Amino acid sequence: MDVVYIMIVVSLIIALLFFFLFINTVKSGQYDDMYTPSVRMLFEDEIVNDKVKEKSEITK
Amino acid sequence: MAQEFCYHCGADCHSSKLIFDEKNFCCNGCKTVYEILNQNELQCYYDLTKNPGSIPKEIKEKFNYLDNPDIVSKLVEFDDGETVVAQFNIPSIHCSSCIWVLENLNKLNKGIKSSQVNFPEKTVRLTFNVTQINFKAVVELMTSIGYEPYISLEDASSAKKKIDRKLIYQVAVAGFAFGNIMLMSLPEYFQMDEFWLNQYKSFFRGIMFVFAIPVVAFSAKDYFISAFKGLKHKILNIDVPISLGIGILFIRSTYDIIFNLGQGYFDSLAGLVFFLLLGKVYQQKTYNFLSFERDYKSYFPIAVTLIDKDKNEHYIPVNDVKKGDRLLIRHQELIPVDGIIINGNALIDYSFVTGESFPISKQSGDKVFAGGKQMGGSIEIEVIEKMSQSYLTQLWGNAIFNKKLTNNIKSLTDTISKNFTIVILAIAIFGAIYWFRIDQNVAFNVFTSVLIIACPCALALAAPFALGNMLRLFGKDKFYLKRADVIESLAKIDVIVFDKTGTLTSSQSQIIYSGEHLTEFDLIGIKSLLRQSNHLMSRKLYEDLNYPISNKVANFEEFIGKGILGTINDISFYLGSANFVGVNEKDDILQTKIWIKINDEIKGKFIFENTYRANLASVFKQLESTFELIILSGDNEGEKEKLSRLLPVSVQYYFNQKPQQKLDFIKDLQSKNKYVLMIGDGLNDAGALAQSDVGIAISEDINIFSPACDGILNAEKFELIPRYLKCSKQTLKLIKISFIISFVYNFLGIYLAVQGLLSPIIAAIFMPLSSISVVLFVTFGSNIIFKKN
Amino acid sequence: MEKEQFYYDNKIVKLFLYATVLWGVVGMLVGLMVAFLFIFPNYLEGISWLSFGRLRPLHTNAVIFAFVGNGVFLGIYYSMQRLLKARMFSDTLSKIHFWGWQLIIVAAAITLPLGLTSSKEYAELEWPIDIAITLIWVVMGINMIGTILKRRQRHIYVAIWFYIATLVTVAVLHIFNNLEMPVTAFKSYSIYAGVQDAMVQWWYGHNAVAFFLTTPVLGLMYYFVPKVSNRPIYSYRLSIIHFWSLIFIYIWAGPHHLLYTALPEWAQNLGTVFSVMLIFPSWGGMINGLLTLRGAWDKVRENPILKFFVVAITGYGMSTFEGPMLSFKSVNAIAHYTDWIVGHVHIGTLAWNGFMISGMLYWLVQKLWKTELYSKKLANSHFLIATIGILLYAIPLYVAGFTQATMWKEFNPDGTLVYGNFLETVTKIMPMYMMRAAGGTLYLIGFLMLAYNIIKTIKIGQFVGDELAEVAPLTPISSSRLAGEGFHSWLERRTVLFTILATVAILIGGAVEIVPLIVVPSNIPTITSVKPYSPLELEGRDLYIREGCNNCHSQMIRPFRSEVARYGEYSKAGEFVYDHPFLWGSKRTGPDLHREGQKYNDNWHFNHLLDPRSTSPGSIMPSYSWLILNDLDVSSTADKMNAMVKLGVPYTQFEVDKALYLLRNQASEIMVNLNQDPEFKKAYGDSNIQDKEIVALIAYLQRLGTDIKADKTALK
Repeated sequence: MDVVYIMIVVSLIIALLFFFLFINTVKSGQYDDMYTPSVRMLFEDEIVNDKVKEKSEITK
Repeated sequence: MAQEFCYHCGADCHSSKLIFDEKNFCCNGCKTVYEILNQNELQCYYDLTKNPGSIPKEIKEKFNYLDNPDIVSKLVEFDDGETVVAQFNIPSIHCSSCIWVLENLNKLNKGIKSSQVNFPEKTVRLTFNVTQINFKAVVELMTSIGYEPYISLEDASSAKKKIDRKLIYQVAVAGFAFGNIMLMSLPEYFQMDEFWLNQYKSFFRGIMFVFAIPVVAFSAKDYFISAFKGLKHKILNIDVPISLGIGILFIRSTYDIIFNLGQGYFDSLAGLVFFLLLGKVYQQKTYNFLSFERDYKSYFPIAVTLIDKDKNEHYIPVNDVKKGDRLLIRHQELIPVDGIIINGNALIDYSFVTGESFPISKQSGDKVFAGGKQMGGSIEIEVIEKMSQSYLTQLWGNAIFNKKLTNNIKSLTDTISKNFTIVILAIAIFGAIYWFRIDQNVAFNVFTSVLIIACPCALALAAPFALGNMLRLFGKDKFYLKRADVIESLAKIDVIVFDKTGTLTSSQSQIIYSGEHLTEFDLIGIKSLLRQSNHLMSRKLYEDLNYPISNKVANFEEFIGKGILGTINDISFYLGSANFVGVNEKDDILQTKIWIKINDEIKGKFIFENTYRANLASVFKQLESTFELIILSGDNEGEKEKLSRLLPVSVQYYFNQKPQQKLDFIKDLQSKNKYVLMIGDGLNDAGALAQSDVGIAISEDINIFSPACDGILNAEKFELIPRYLKCSKQTLKLIKISFIISFVYNFLGIYLAVQGLLSPIIAAIFMPLSSISVVLFVTFGSNIIFKKN
Repeated sequence: MEKEQFYYDNKIVKLFLYATVLWGVVGMLVGLMVAFLFIFPNYLEGISWLSFGRLRPLHTNAVIFAFVGNGVFLGIYYSMQRLLKARMFSDTLSKIHFWGWQLIIVAAAITLPLGLTSSKEYAELEWPIDIAITLIWVVMGINMIGTILKRRQRHIYVAIWFYIATLVTVAVLHIFNNLEMPVTAFKSYSIYAGVQDAMVQWWYGHNAVAFFLTTPVLGLMYYFVPKVSNRPIYSYRLSIIHFWSLIFIYIWAGPHHLLYTALPEWAQNLGTVFSVMLIFPSWGGMINGLLTLRGAWDKVRENPILKFFVVAITGYGMSTFEGPMLSFKSVNAIAHYTDWIVGHVHIGTLAWNGFMISGMLYWLVQKLWKTELYSKKLANSHFLIATIGILLYAIPLYVAGFTQATMWKEFNPDGTLVYGNFLETVTKIMPMYMMRAAGGTLYLIGFLMLAYNIIKTIKIGQFVGDELAEVAPLTPISSSRLAGEGFHSWLERRTVLFTILATVAILIGGAVEIVPLIVVPSNIPTITSVKPYSPLELEGRDLYIREGCNNCHSQMIRPFRSEVARYGEYSKAGEFVYDHPFLWGSKRTGPDLHREGQKYNDNWHFNHLLDPRSTSPGSIMPSYSWLILNDLDVSSTADKMNAMVKLGVPYTQFEVDKALYLLRNQASEIMVNLNQDPEFKKAYGDSNIQDKEIVALIAYLQRLGTDIKADKTALK
């Protein structure tokens, strides 16, 4: 069962890694705004898409 | 007729409808925005949300002061001569379209590099290239599409506030450690003696110990500090027993694992700290988009237009204005200092100051007070008082604004904890002494156990969760409190002081005519004239009169700030202020009138009267039984008998109160040790609001001006005031009950502890159980209370 | 720094889309073949590489790593570019990732039917392929982190976090579960033995589910559900909490797969506790997903894609509720080893993974080919058929599982088992197996409709390989000026650190992993009577692994009266100390074999292997006729023993040198036994069975669990 040592150590390393990540994400202000990102991800660069459509029409 | 709504802002485009692209617009502003967005392929602004826009304010020279570099430098966050970063507060942000268009500003101007909206805080941070577009241009650009930034002296003076995330880190550390420590301690709970387990014990315990250190050293830090501070001032605040508990937990557990007596209580320790901190987080709910600390500065322009001897205009920071300076005040600009009108006709809106919603006209020679907003054309005034001495702002000299806002009511939790701590210590010591004679090891065990189990986690959590939850519930109802403990203060209130204008009265007004009878022809004539004028009052009256309009209006003329005249079928009409039509009557500050003169004959006047808020009477009725009610108004007694007819007899009235007097009045009440709740709106109440135990500002539009206060109430919720007070009172009762519950828990625990029966697993079950059950109790309790009322 | 124009790479997305559909069909087809083997055990008679024990791993690997794998990459490559407003870091890496992954799948599709397997569930692939997987994973990692580095959107949307979690965790788990001691190019032994091997395997096994089938798909949910319904996620804050709490709990749930086994009790309970706690984050996610569509049910009604998503999320909710339930010891005692578990996992895979990906496919094909779906009606009927398929699949298996479990445990008043013959408990649930097959068929038909629909849509559509986009780049600003704002180019530093840490973590892990190699032998509580396998038995064991017997037969008797009565003394940790890898199995389609040794005579086994129904009428075990045709390959016997020695199995040098001699001796002994049966003599007397594989297998089976049959004591 010494494998338990490995598993605990490895798991803790992973956990600490993510913990570290979390702290830094907070520190960098990523989570200051907990609403806008959810809306922002819905936007697509409509104009670009239009252009593409036009292009494709032309090529047809 | 079928109502038509503005494609841009959704407003009803009544009299003046514009059509463009087969779309209705309520005004030119909206139409222009539409055109701008259209030309720049930003149409889908309108697809994301229906009628997302807001009517843009006209710019003119409004932002000229932003040409002054040292003013701008105060407003930017970063500037390397090319790239500039600045954050703007934009009250009109309200939907996803707003986010979209603001984050696509660079389609409107290539100079803007990137823009990021923070919706909850209603701010946008822009990065732009000053070589391509300067600060002023950016502001004007946003204003032109209806997103006028709200730039105030406050922003300029006060350093950029830093977001303090310490608490989050502390919670994160505690939570993380808690999880892992639990993982490590569970095996020994599950199985006492097993081959492998015995092999790992030390390994597990070691890890637990390591994880416990940051919890105590970092996460729990503040408890030790505050406990220490408390003791220094000879106060046994709640943090004393808490830090005592934490400390003992750590020492005892370390001792246990070192001498291999057991696995220690590290899991309970981490859990305890974690829950306590969660409580703090929960209580820390803030309404970012509101500001509770606005002082007069935030009302006033950052810079003003100074006119020097040779009639040149300069923009100077308002603080530099000296007595005797001549200032130019434009339409829609705020008068920053007390002064005398040199020329131009003033129509001054004092609503920020008094809450009075109708402008008053002034002529040259009249005195104007700081805080008024010029509505007509531009006027020129001579400064008679430095800003800091002016009628309003002198208030801010008063100590009340400088003294840090600390809740002067001692919190319930602390009062209780005092005795609690003493009792616990007593028990611990006696227990120890008792056992010492029998078995010394047990003595130590008992002493520590008592302090561990008695650690008033539940006690400390009750208030934060009860108040925090109530705060949220209030917030849902458009009643925003600065801090959760304001609720505690609210519960103690016994006097309520109301301001009158703007607080008891609403901005909606009714128009009464008094004077000789007007023929239909007269009225038609009046309406037709009014139609020509864009003046706020003209519009009001125009909509008020239901008559057809004739279009035979001839030689129409408008004298800004005075009135309008014109002829119909050679019959002359004069509409306007008293001396415009030639009545020699002093316009009193508070009544707004339009005088009517037809064919050189004074017919009479239309009086704009403020209406009292709906169910004002019933609100007072409900309050009267429990509270002493006072109306404290800056106005004359004109309304007194009307009010006394409306309101219960017990209500007391004080009129003609200057801001300073209002403040002193509150002080005086407090000296008779009463707990005073002040409800006001205007700047003139600011002093009173700050002085009172709880100051609540009523506001028609919570995003903009409201003086410094403990809470902001959306005007439409006025009738709910009794409910809020009731809820607060009951919340406090609730907390008291929960205290009893947690005491019961504590004594159960202590009962075990004194017998030396407290094992890690019992602690591990017992402590979270007590805390969680209390938390649930108060949370559900407060929800019920809120629903019930 | 003007606004930058750049192109999203749709070509790679297209490739993954094709792969997803293709492997989806293949994987499900194999699944169906397997399902039919339950009903017609003989319909693939005598084709060694199509026997159940080899197809089942093929099915699981195909659907998990080929279908869901490609589907997840598809979603990641599409959403990541758009969320980060940047083309993937490197097209070459993207291509390497794609083709590498397909190569691995093909390799798996070849090796598994050939019986080249490590026998560890969901990690069956042999060591060279394991290494390939690791490499491709690293490639993908570099590509992802590179993209994050050059992103043009400051905020990292929650979906990306789920992807990152997958990237890191799967890498570590894969490495640690596949630490093997190679013997030949396609043969290796797990470095762990018995209990330890089991522990690691299920630590991995569970997290394979957690971090390969759940977290990335949650990431997809957080991107595609809002996108398709065009409304922001119900609560972004909740999604953040969901992510971090999930990460910190998942890793520990593993041991719940080993309840009532020889694993120490505390370890088992640990698994239970954490599995139960998992329900909170899981349901947090589900609720968040469903509430996103609140007030938009009209949209759902007319949009098949949203229908798929709704059912998918509901499926997620169901299986994440069932999971914790099943990790309660009392429930687990019933469900474990039965078809209940099979039903449980298929709710997860068919509903959650299958539907999530189907919906995504329908949406993406329209996006990529800039056209409407060929037939919305077809999509709707796919949804209908597949949903019925799922129900028809799962429900019978729940019934089957429950029936079987109760029959296993039923006693007569006199204390004997009611169903002493295991077969009765199998024949009883045949109808359920048939319904399951029907359900599977429906699901496959549905998926074929999807394939057709997709192809048609592609035909009418017009593919845009590189989609033009225009976004301003991030402007790095010296952080000193902006107090603590999310403004400085933070991730640049972070990610570098992050990658370094990741590698460090893996290195440390690697270092730690040496430890057991040294210490393993020293501190296992040994049972004196437990001895290493003889060379022949060792070869037999490898045949057992090759034929995948462990797919249907467990080797772990739980300490229940019913099991002890049926199989004999319950299994002890000490008995497995030489089992590299462990062969406890996780399903009992057939009876447990841990005490099989000496239960029947050699002839019985001989006949049973050749034609199971001859000895046990009604058995659904396929016949292994090729075992008497193939000569036993003894070329690497000595190497195998040496490898075992390296892993701490105490073979003496003498034994290793004399390996073949010993092997032949034992074989001839078995021949003696076999020849006692006149039937056998008549049939095979002259042919030399002695060198055939079947002999080795018999030897192994006869050895199973015999070590402590003699003495039940000496247990530490």
